[in-house]
Amino acid sequence: MPIDEIQQLEAIVRGESGAFASWLAGAEPRIRRSLARFARAVDTEAVLQESLLRVWQVAPRFKPDGQPEALLRMGVRIARNLAISGARRRRAQQLDLDLLGEGAEAMPPMDEPDPRLRGTIEQCREKLPRNPQRSLAARLERPGIRDDVLAQSLGMNLNTFFQNIRRARLGLLDCLKRHGIELEIRA
Amino acid sequence: MSPPPNASSPMPSDDQWADLLVEQVTSAWRPRGMDGYIEPHPAWHDLNEAERTEAYRETTRLRLMEAALDPRGLSATGRAVLERVTRR
Repeated sequence: MPIDEIQQLEAIVRGESGAFASWLAGAEPRIRRSLARFARAVDTEAVLQESLLRVWQVAPRFKPDGQPEALLRMGVRIARNLAISGARRRRAQQLDLDLLGEGAEAMPPMDEPDPRLRGTIEQCREKLPRNPQRSLAARLERPGIRDDVLAQSLGMNLNTFFQNIRRARLGLLDCLKRHGIELEIRA
Repeated sequence: MSPPPNASSPMPSDDQWADLLVEQVTSAWRPRGMDGYIEPHPAWHDLNEAERTEAYRETTRLRLMEAALDPRGLSATGRAVLERVTRR
């Protein structure tokens, strides 16, 4: 287990939210990717958030096995178990039993985002029309707040807010594409 | 939280309605159930299988972009979880 990972884990165990934030930034996309095969059967965003919260809750009692990415592997395992429980509760018949039996340790590979993404996306955001830009910013700045509350705070009706979010999202993707950056997602 | 009809414009078509539902599901907001667990977005239940897969893809793309815009590299999901953790 690498030393920086041990230090990060120790800080998380002590309850340092900054260390947890740093772990979240790397772990979230990989756990999300591990849930791709459940996307038809469960709301993966809800499963993912619940899994990340549980990682934080159990971290103080966590005993690493000495292998790299121990906390991430636990997160993937928690997410998979929650997804299976959720799918069973919904009696999702579309889930392939072979997929359910797949090893919990099947780790999604590290995401390698295009190194130009960070610089380019900022330029693309600045080019968005005002209301799509405001709507996207509202969701980013207040991620735990319901959309109807955000829409009201911006003086928009809910339909208009959703249309602005859509315009922002598609506008950013289109702008990135023009800069030669495509965000390929497998599901 | 399905979108209300917009009095100033005609009712959306089925495709437009599905687009709006997908847009709702791309939010990081999720309700909490009586047991305290995070619940599916209400609009997610109104999506068919293909739309659920689309919602997953579009949410994943959006989170990558959000993380790239955040100085700590956190998407809206990461920020929502961190808020819940630090609020306790």
